[in-house]
Amino acid sequence: MKRMTALILALLMLSLHLPLLAQETPVRIGIGQFANHPSLDNCRDGFLLGLAEAGFVVGENLVVDYQNAQTDMGLTAIIASGFVSNGVDLIAAIATPMAVTAVNTADGKIPVIYTAVSAPIEAGLAYADRPFDGNATGTSDQIPVRDQLALIRAMQPQAKTLGLLYTVGEVNSQVQAAQYREEAAAFGFEVVESTITTSSDIPLALPGLIAQVDLLSMLTDNTVVQHLDLVLDAADAAGLPVYGSEIEQVKNGCVATVGIDYLALGRQTGLMAARVLRGESADSIPFEVLKDFALYYNQEALTRLGLTLPDTLAPDLTEVTTL
Amino acid sequence: MAVPLMSFLRAFPATMEQGFIYALMALGVMITYLVLDFPDLTVDGSFPLGGAVSTSLIISGFSPLPALLLATLAGMAAGLVTGLIHVKLKIRALFSGIIVMTALYSINLRITGGSSLLSIPRDSVTLFRNNALTRLLPQAWSTLIIALALVLLAKFLLDALLNTRLGLLLRAAGDNQQVVTALGRDQGNVKILGLSLANGLVAFCGGVLCQQQRLFELSMGTGAMVLSLASVIIGVNLLKRVERLRDSTKVIIGALLYKASYGLAISLGLRPGDMKLVTALLFLGILSTRLLKGKEARDHA
Amino acid sequence: MLEMLNLRKVYNPGTVRQLCLFEGFSLRIPRGQFLSIVGSNGSGKSSMMNLICGTIQPDAGQIMVDGQDITRMPEHKRLRRIGRIHQNPAMGTCAGMSIQENLALADNKDQRMNLRPGVDKKQRQRYQDLLRPLGLGLENMLDARAGSLSGGQRQALAMVMCVMTPIDFLILDEHTAALDPKTSDLIMALTDQVVREKGLTALMVTHNLRYAIEYGDRLLMLHQGGIVLDRADEQKKKTRLQDVLDLFTQISIELGN
Repeated sequence: MKRMTALILALLMLSLHLPLLAQETPVRIGIGQFANHPSLDNCRDGFLLGLAEAGFVVGENLVVDYQNAQTDMGLTAIIASGFVSNGVDLIAAIATPMAVTAVNTADGKIPVIYTAVSAPIEAGLAYADRPFDGNATGTSDQIPVRDQLALIRAMQPQAKTLGLLYTVGEVNSQVQAAQYREEAAAFGFEVVESTITTSSDIPLALPGLIAQVDLLSMLTDNTVVQHLDLVLDAADAAGLPVYGSEIEQVKNGCVATVGIDYLALGRQTGLMAARVLRGESADSIPFEVLKDFALYYNQEALTRLGLTLPDTLAPDLTEVTTL
Repeated sequence: MAVPLMSFLRAFPATMEQGFIYALMALGVMITYLVLDFPDLTVDGSFPLGGAVSTSLIISGFSPLPALLLATLAGMAAGLVTGLIHVKLKIRALFSGIIVMTALYSINLRITGGSSLLSIPRDSVTLFRNNALTRLLPQAWSTLIIALALVLLAKFLLDALLNTRLGLLLRAAGDNQQVVTALGRDQGNVKILGLSLANGLVAFCGGVLCQQQRLFELSMGTGAMVLSLASVIIGVNLLKRVERLRDSTKVIIGALLYKASYGLAISLGLRPGDMKLVTALLFLGILSTRLLKGKEARDHA
Repeated sequence: MLEMLNLRKVYNPGTVRQLCLFEGFSLRIPRGQFLSIVGSNGSGKSSMMNLICGTIQPDAGQIMVDGQDITRMPEHKRLRRIGRIHQNPAMGTCAGMSIQENLALADNKDQRMNLRPGVDKKQRQRYQDLLRPLGLGLENMLDARAGSLSGGQRQALAMVMCVMTPIDFLILDEHTAALDPKTSDLIMALTDQVVREKGLTALMVTHNLRYAIEYGDRLLMLHQGGIVLDRADEQKKKTRLQDVLDLFTQISIELGN
């Protein structure tokens, strides 16, 4: 009888400890963000959401070391080597300079998941014809140029010239501008471009550009996006519609976009990261682009500029209210 | 306290690598600032110039050493232009450097073919990867060893140069340009030569760094002068009493200390954005301890 | 032989402060002559030295050396064959470099500026031999920074540096003015010795009338860009301090240092 009791007690004690035995040591990841602006912040938030959805929750089984390089390359290098020397399980890199530095510093020892990289192949983070070999994968924030052009044409059947403002030398802007140049003719548009070096050039470049075009379309250019308010002020004064490249911009006053929701992009990236944390090799996962582009519009902006949404588009729309 | 220290120590090899590579540029700034007494801002432009040239060439298939050689020559040309502007057009030293630095922004962009970011493919041959030397060295230490070898080579060449007839003249030009004229030499030409050599070394450093991080970024020059100056001033002032060491050694140590203080600050949890404040405080601390101790100050503050 | 022909120099032309210093100024100095130049402030003494060395350019006229026109020759080229000691002791030597290095610089004056060692260790003995006759103890301080030397020591060093290589002219531009009386005399004696030994053509600008009388073969007094007194050789030997002083009183300057 005593032996029986002892056995039952022992089993009881053991079963109480089982949950503890099953608990893993928390996963440690480093998130390196290259610059400080809302789109990239949304990426980061979405990333954490995606991880949580897949079972990695901050505070429970996930420890996050978040660092922002404030666009400084020196800091980017330090942040990356910090992650590597701290031996994190995974590095999340937001934006191209951080991604490339992280992949080079980690040198294959730690998987790198990148996001908000517009051109992974040009950046050396992926190969066009074969799987990558640097233990990295992620998502690209390429914008659907053709869909955007179709939207603009549907909304402004009479418009002829389309204006682009971007930073000379920013790789993703160049890629996108090239795409516009290629696709615009098919929709009957002529593209006029204006480039800047720094944000202080924006007020100088805008008047000239606005005078020549019927509308502006935003790229994902870091500098211009950060100063969207300058663009909108100047365009509104001239009665010119500005089409955004992602949802935040439409919230801030752009008329509409077939664009990116960086939160969704981040979430998609988080899910990829979870797969890698669970054991899949990063190189076995090709980089992804956002699966669902949505059409966002801002009614207040439309009314202000005297535009209306054509009925053909109505079913696919998501209204977004001004912030 | 233990955790930050541990993470700092683990990051130490990487900090040393960065310190050695940036020391190359600090040695270049030593030539202009310490030897020639010329505040040369060209550095903010010639540093990325070296990176742009070296990276573009490597991507096109050049070998690492010829790429670095051409990067160095580009830097020397930049220094030459600054010198000509200063000597022939009689424009103040500070402005001459600023003019060239500004022009180099556009030139660097042209060199990269318009991109603000260039990536060196993983299988390319650089000074630090995929070459005969790295195959011989243990992988974990190869970067550190190569960086150390480069900076020691630069140091010994520089020390030797400063003891030649030409080197003596360079030192005289920074000390008392009247004496140079009295010796029958054109002191303007001597300055131009010094500027050229210094910026060649700075561009070399830019090329080396880009080969190490396999990345060129257009804005990498911002703050290069401040960083190098900090290294020079920290090294020379902190080790002021140590007569045995040459200035060049002090400058290298200064660069290492500067990078180490960065790494330590990050390990202690300081935000990257606060680093500039840390730099300023470091500068202030070191320069003011000299003043407080009342030592006879060499007028290089 | 140095010749200045019809020199014209106008300062601040076309402004309110316009000053025509020299107009049609000519002067001939034979080889080997030791010339003392005195004059009031603004009489043109330093300007004349600057014109000869090439620090400033004349508006008209010529400067000839042994028949060769050097008017357009840049300063540093002229100084290859001219030695100049300035009033400010700090101007003639490099403060941050050692005595040995300064001497090495001067020693290399005529040499090709190449990558051979700057300081020849084997010359150390020779440098000491050059410094010992000065009687200032500099031969034991070869590694000391020139900046740590006194004014007189630096001027002596500058003098040695000037004459280490062959030169045609030695220009002494009030070179004892910043020194105390005892050191002044020392440097002056040294100057005389060096000029005599090497048979140099020397031009000495000085405020010290006594030196002007005691030393040199020829005495020149300038006033407002013109020569008011020119005594050479026998005439100079007969000139007394009082004569010169009387003339000076008319154009008021201070006596002595």
